[in-house]
Amino acid sequence: MTQRVAISGIGVVAPGAIGLEAFRALLARGETAIGEVTRFPTEGLRAKHAALVTDFQARDFIAPMKMRRMNTLSRYAMAAARMAIEDAGARSPLSRDCGVALGTAFGPVQTSVDYMQEYVEKGAALAPPQLFAESVANAPGSHIAIEHDLRGFNVTLTQRESSALAAAMYGASQIVKGSAESAVIGGVEEATEMTFSVLDRIGALAGESRPFDRRRAGMVFGEGSAMLVARREAEGAYGYFSGFGIARDTTASISDWGEDSGPVVRAMRAAIVDAGLTPGEIDAVYASANSTVRADRLEYRAIAALFGEKPPPVVATKGVFGEYAAGGALPLVAALIALGEQTLHASCGFESGDDEMRIDVVRERRAASLRNILVNSVSAGGGIVCAVVSR
Amino acid sequence: MRNPDRETRVAVTGAGIICAIGRNKEEVWRSITESRDGIAELTRFPGETFPTALAAQVDDDLTGMLPIGHAEARRLSRSDLLAVIAAGEALAQAGEVARERTIVATGTSTGGLLEGEEYYFSRLVRGRRRAPASRVLQQPTSAPADAVARAFGLGGGVVSNATACASAGAAVGMAADYLRAGHCDVALAGGTDALCRLTYSGFNVLQAVDAAPCMPFSAGRKGITLGEGAGYLLLERWDDAVARGAKILAELCGYGASCDAHHPTAPAEDGRGAYAAMRAALGEARLAGVDYVNAHGTGTLLNDSSETRAITAALGTSTPVSSTKSYFGHTLGASGGIEAVISVLALGEQLAPPTLRLTEAAADCTLDYIPHTPRPLAMSSVLSNTFGFGGSNVSLVFARVV
Repeated sequence: MTQRVAISGIGVVAPGAIGLEAFRALLARGETAIGEVTRFPTEGLRAKHAALVTDFQARDFIAPMKMRRMNTLSRYAMAAARMAIEDAGARSPLSRDCGVALGTAFGPVQTSVDYMQEYVEKGAALAPPQLFAESVANAPGSHIAIEHDLRGFNVTLTQRESSALAAAMYGASQIVKGSAESAVIGGVEEATEMTFSVLDRIGALAGESRPFDRRRAGMVFGEGSAMLVARREAEGAYGYFSGFGIARDTTASISDWGEDSGPVVRAMRAAIVDAGLTPGEIDAVYASANSTVRADRLEYRAIAALFGEKPPPVVATKGVFGEYAAGGALPLVAALIALGEQTLHASCGFESGDDEMRIDVVRERRAASLRNILVNSVSAGGGIVCAVVSR
Repeated sequence: MRNPDRETRVAVTGAGIICAIGRNKEEVWRSITESRDGIAELTRFPGETFPTALAAQVDDDLTGMLPIGHAEARRLSRSDLLAVIAAGEALAQAGEVARERTIVATGTSTGGLLEGEEYYFSRLVRGRRRAPASRVLQQPTSAPADAVARAFGLGGGVVSNATACASAGAAVGMAADYLRAGHCDVALAGGTDALCRLTYSGFNVLQAVDAAPCMPFSAGRKGITLGEGAGYLLLERWDDAVARGAKILAELCGYGASCDAHHPTAPAEDGRGAYAAMRAALGEARLAGVDYVNAHGTGTLLNDSSETRAITAALGTSTPVSSTKSYFGHTLGASGGIEAVISVLALGEQLAPPTLRLTEAAADCTLDYIPHTPRPLAMSSVLSNTFGFGGSNVSLVFARVV
């Protein structure tokens, strides 16, 4: 039996946009939120740009006494969760068995670094316990559960660029299964000097994000958090999770994409089948494309292979907020906004693709009849998670 | 979305384990039957001083055990290597499975944090540009699942769970649901964690480590002994396992998960979350009780009393319970995988492992904890508990194949 899971609340802490309405407006303007990094020194690094959260005031969302115990990751996640729960609560309150499923690619790297700094300076016996408690990847999910008394399943999933979609797949499947009536689902990421500099060392980062464009030369790091309240049923839902599919490219090397588009096709097809649909019923694809030469090629080949002569329009959103933003949850939110507005977003940063590219990448924001959108996430290392969201 | 159909049964057809008491199932089970623990002086971090000095380390040279090439192994973290060894054992036992349809579901709390630490130290000495960055790439908690999938050419997908000490239990439960929903045909599910400085120091500053070998459920218990290792199960749908003539070791018939929603590190004293996870797992298994509980049993004051309350509420006071962490320590994110393997072995051998060093149970620990030596026991089902920081709780129920 095929079931859908309703999305009844959305909270966003995005680069250049706090709150769903601000994020909606950012996407509508088609502007990039990428800018020069001033949070940490970039001297000696090739990359100097990132999509960072600005103008975020944690105290607008979290009580000061509680905030002191939370790292940046937890603060982003708590703020996004509060917005999502309040947004959903306007319709009906959450059940106590509500679950939490979050995705994060790198987790609390900065807290581990801070802890080890204290370890080096003060010794292994005198490092602060507060930092240790906050160094586990599931600290944000734990804070959300405590704050809102959510006693259902509580998991944090990490699958690089696919983290948030992996979390959505798990959270939605638990609602379908009946383990919980509702769940807070989303992702969170923080741009840290450590992660940024390591990705720079391996040449993964570029100064600008141009997904699917022929001049693309690498990804730009993004951060933030986005949370969705998902439930079995809801009035006035933003949309529905209707299918998920996973696969893995066995040709991928440790920190790079592979060359076999077959597994991407398999994952997309699996998500469409899980939704009880056929490829012809997919009205648009919100792509994984992150401006990396190989990843984008893999994906446009896969889309062309699956959909054949008349592929649906493809939107690449990471030119706005970079890769890893909100643990990968922002493309999902963008797709839900598109469903609600019946309008496809412009693919910020895209002008013209490789000669061999046979897909229709949306350049200008345009009205469209949208019932089902396929959302892709294709990870370095080979993991792939695809989702179908429906009106 | 297809429902993870409860009528679809999940078979365990392979198991693999590496921890302080053995490098594979046979060695581990021999240690269990001989009541021989793996707790000894911590030697992994020479020159560094911690408030306590014991650990349950894997002391063997891992490189000789690897089913992968030397060049590949050099790029992996210690957590990756432990995972590849245990997952390889499970896969070998299961025999020929459809690798293109096999997912890897891995729980890990630290991933490659050991290598991450070494990179941090190296940066402090040599600076950002000169520190060797090769193995820090394996720091993310998603890396061990990728490493296992790479090692064995698995194309079904990867999913990693970083829910602190509940990670591997949740990964196993998730894999069962994905099998039932048809998202994959085969799953390698379990967990891995290598000892690292941050966790060794961190549990010490939380004053959660016993200076002596841990004494779960004992009157004098003072905390955990940290361990390391990996444990994986090979799961497939029952009918598929029967059709290909595989030997079925056990049925994975129940998975329950909950959150205390109480405190970032401490469990709820009334054991409410643990109770809810156990009830959910028993409900999915359609069982009113089980014949043995492999407890989370960390040896901390709070865990052992709240878990005892939860078990009492869920199962009464007559079900035998033990903590095998008294053998191989608390292996953190790996514990749910390692203890799932122990549970499956116990079912197969019809022998319940004991809680070592339990000479006098604490006043707040009022169950039958199987002290000192294994107990022959007719078991048709067992329940394995795994709880973690953040109040996450996972229970798994396994049933004997008859």
